[in-house]
Amino acid sequence: MATYILRRILQTIGVVIILSYVCFYIMTLMPGDPVELMISSNPKITSEDVARLRSLYGLDQPAYKRYLNWVAQISTGDLGHSRTYRVPVSELLGPRLWNTFFLSMLALGFSLLIALPMGVYTALNPGGKLDSTVNMASFFGISMPSFLLALILIIIFAVQLGWLPAGGTETIGADNTGLAGVFDRMKYLILPVLSLSLQSIGSFVRYARGSMLDVLRQDYVRTAKAKGLSYHVVIWKHAFRNALIPIITVVALSLSNVFSGALLTETVFAYQGVGKLVYDSIMGNDFNVAMISFIISVSMVLIMNLIADILYGFVDPRISYH
Amino acid sequence: MSDENLQKTQAQQDILKMEQPQPLWKMIVTQFAEHRMAVAGVITIVFFILLALSADLISWATGLHPHRQNVSGRYLLPFSHSEVGSSEKETAVETWIANNTELASQLQAELVSKGLIAVPEDDALFEVALMPKEEIAGILTQLEMVPSSFKTMLDDFKKYHPFGTDEVGRDVFIRLIYGARVSIGVGILSTLVAALIGLMIGSLAGFYGGWIDSLLMRVTDALLSLPLIPVMIVIAAVDLQKVPLLAQYVGSGYESIIKMVLIICLFSWMTVARLVRGSILSLKEREFILAARTVGCNDSTIIFRHLFPNVIGPMIVSLTLGVGSSIIFEAALSFLGLGIMPPMASWGNMLTNAQEMIYKNVWLTILPGTMILLTVVSFNFMGDGLQSAVDPKSIRR
Repeated sequence: MATYILRRILQTIGVVIILSYVCFYIMTLMPGDPVELMISSNPKITSEDVARLRSLYGLDQPAYKRYLNWVAQISTGDLGHSRTYRVPVSELLGPRLWNTFFLSMLALGFSLLIALPMGVYTALNPGGKLDSTVNMASFFGISMPSFLLALILIIIFAVQLGWLPAGGTETIGADNTGLAGVFDRMKYLILPVLSLSLQSIGSFVRYARGSMLDVLRQDYVRTAKAKGLSYHVVIWKHAFRNALIPIITVVALSLSNVFSGALLTETVFAYQGVGKLVYDSIMGNDFNVAMISFIISVSMVLIMNLIADILYGFVDPRISYH
Repeated sequence: MSDENLQKTQAQQDILKMEQPQPLWKMIVTQFAEHRMAVAGVITIVFFILLALSADLISWATGLHPHRQNVSGRYLLPFSHSEVGSSEKETAVETWIANNTELASQLQAELVSKGLIAVPEDDALFEVALMPKEEIAGILTQLEMVPSSFKTMLDDFKKYHPFGTDEVGRDVFIRLIYGARVSIGVGILSTLVAALIGLMIGSLAGFYGGWIDSLLMRVTDALLSLPLIPVMIVIAAVDLQKVPLLAQYVGSGYESIIKMVLIICLFSWMTVARLVRGSILSLKEREFILAARTVGCNDSTIIFRHLFPNVIGPMIVSLTLGVGSSIIFEAALSFLGLGIMPPMASWGNMLTNAQEMIYKNVWLTILPGTMILLTVVSFNFMGDGLQSAVDPKSIRR
C-alpha cells in the first residue's frame, strides 16, 4: 500500500511539472504580452525603451529559459505579482480558494442530500410513476449546460421575482462580521449552489438507483429478509451500505472537481472564486496569476483523485493494492 | 372443422414467422423503436438537421438575414416588426436609382405629373420611400406601372421577426437556424474525428499490449484526470498566428471553427480509446481471432477486418453521448467568448451578450438555451435507446 501511494505521488508530481511547462508555453502563445499592454497605454514610448523593458522582463529569451527562471522564482516562495490587482498573488489566492471551496462543498452536500434518498426510493419501487418522472428529470439534468441553468435561475429569481441577488459574493460596502456576515453570504450563495448541484443531482440519482437495484438483487438481502429483520433494517443497514461503494467512487470524482468545476457558474454569477480568477486572468493577460491559479486548480484535481483512490481502497475491503 | 384447421395453420404460421432468422439491423431497429423517448429524440435531431441544412433556403424565403444589423430595431420582442432606419432607406433608394436610371426617371416624371409628390423631380423617389407604408400603398396604386424591383426594395424596409432581434438588431430566428449549422456541425465533426483517433490508439494499445499499452494508457489516464474547462480555456485563448502550423488558417471565416474542433477533439478521444481497448482486450482471446492467425492473417488484417466490426457496437453508443457533450463544450466556450467568434452565429455565442440583456429581453437567453437543451437531450435519449438496443442481453424476440 505504501509503495502504491508513493508511486502515485511521484506520478502526480511528474504530471504537474509537465503540465506547468505546457501551460507556460501555451501562455506565451496568447495574444498580447506584458510589454504590449504598456505600449498601448503609453503612446510616447520609444523603441529603445521597449527593447529595454523586454530584456528587463526577460521576454526576449526562449520559452524554456523563461520557464526555468519562473521555476527558480517560485521555489524561493515568491509567487509573483498580479498586474491587474497590484497585490502579491498569494494574497489574492487565499480568499478566492476559500470561496470556491465553500461553494463546491455546499453544492456537493446539497446534491447528495437530495440525490441519495431519491435514488433509494426510486429503486425500491422500480417502474412506478415516481421512477419515470425522476428518470426523465435526471436526463434533463445531465443534458443541461450549467451556465444555461444559471441564467434561467437568474431570470426566474432575480429578474422576475426579485427575491435573490443576481450575482456577487457579498453585499458591497457592508462590513458584516460574524453571524450577520454569514447570513449575508448565504443570500448570495443560494442560486450558485442550486445551479451547480442540479446537474450533479441528475447523475448521482442514476448511479444511486442503479447500484441500489444491483444490491437489492443480492443473496444477502434475501437472507436478511428471511431472517425476519424489519424492512428498514434490511434496506438501510444492509442494502444501502453496500450500495454506497460505487456511489463513493462517483462522489470522490466529484470531490476532485471541487476547485475547478465551478468555473462557469462563478463566471455567470460573478462569484469571486478561483475559477473566475483563472478566466479573468487569462482574458486580461495577467500572466502570473493565470499560471499560479491554473496550476493550483489542476494539482488540486490530481491530489483529490489520489485521495479518492486511497479512500476507495479503504472503503471496499475487496480491493487490495499490491 | 375448417375453422379449427384455419386457426391451427394461423398458429403454425405465427410460430414459423417467429422462428425465422432476423438480420441484426432489424433486431436493433425493432428494439430501438420500443423506447419512446429515443424515437422522439431521433425525430427531433432529424428535424434540426433538416432545418440547419436548409438554412439558405429559409433565409431566401423569409427575407431575413443572419448578419444584417439594424440599429434602430434592437432587443425587439418576439413576433414584432422592425423598420429600417431612414439613412439606410436613402442609401437603398440611391443604389436603386443608380442601377435603373431610365426606370427611375420615368417614375419620377410620373409622380410629379400626377401631382402626388410636392417636391422637385429628383427627390421624388426619396420622398416616397420615407413615407409610412399605407401612404406608399395608396400612391403606388395610382401609378401606371411600378417596377417590381422598386416594390421589393420598398418591401425590404419592413421585416417581421418571429423571435425578435438581438442587441445589434439581427434577427434571432434565422440566427438560430444558422447557429444550428455551426453548433451541430462542430459537435458531430469533432466527435467523429475524436472517435477515429480513439479507435486507432485504443486498438493499438489493446492489440499489442506490453509497453505500448502501458505507455498509451498512462497518457490517456493523465489526460483524463485533468479538469476540462480550465484547460480548454487556456488552449482556446491561444492566438493562432503564433502557432507555426496553423497560422495559415487565420483570416478565413472558419478559423474559430477549426480551433473549436481541434480543442474538443483533444479531450474527447480518451473515453473512446478506453472503451475500444477494453473491447479488444476481451475480443483478442476469442477463437475466431485464433482461427484468423492460423490462416495466416497479418496484424492489420486482423485489426481492420475482424476486430473493428465487433468494436463498433458499443462505440456508437458512446459516440452519440459524445456528440451531446461536444455541443455543450462548444456552447460553454463560445459563451465565455473563446469559441466561435461573432458575426458567425452559434448557439453559445448568442448567449454571450444575453446576460447583460436579461432585464430588457429575456427571450435572447431562453431561445438559444432551449435549442441547446433540446438537442443535447435528444442525443442523450438516442444514446440511451441505442444502448438498450445494441446490448445483446436485452434483445428479445
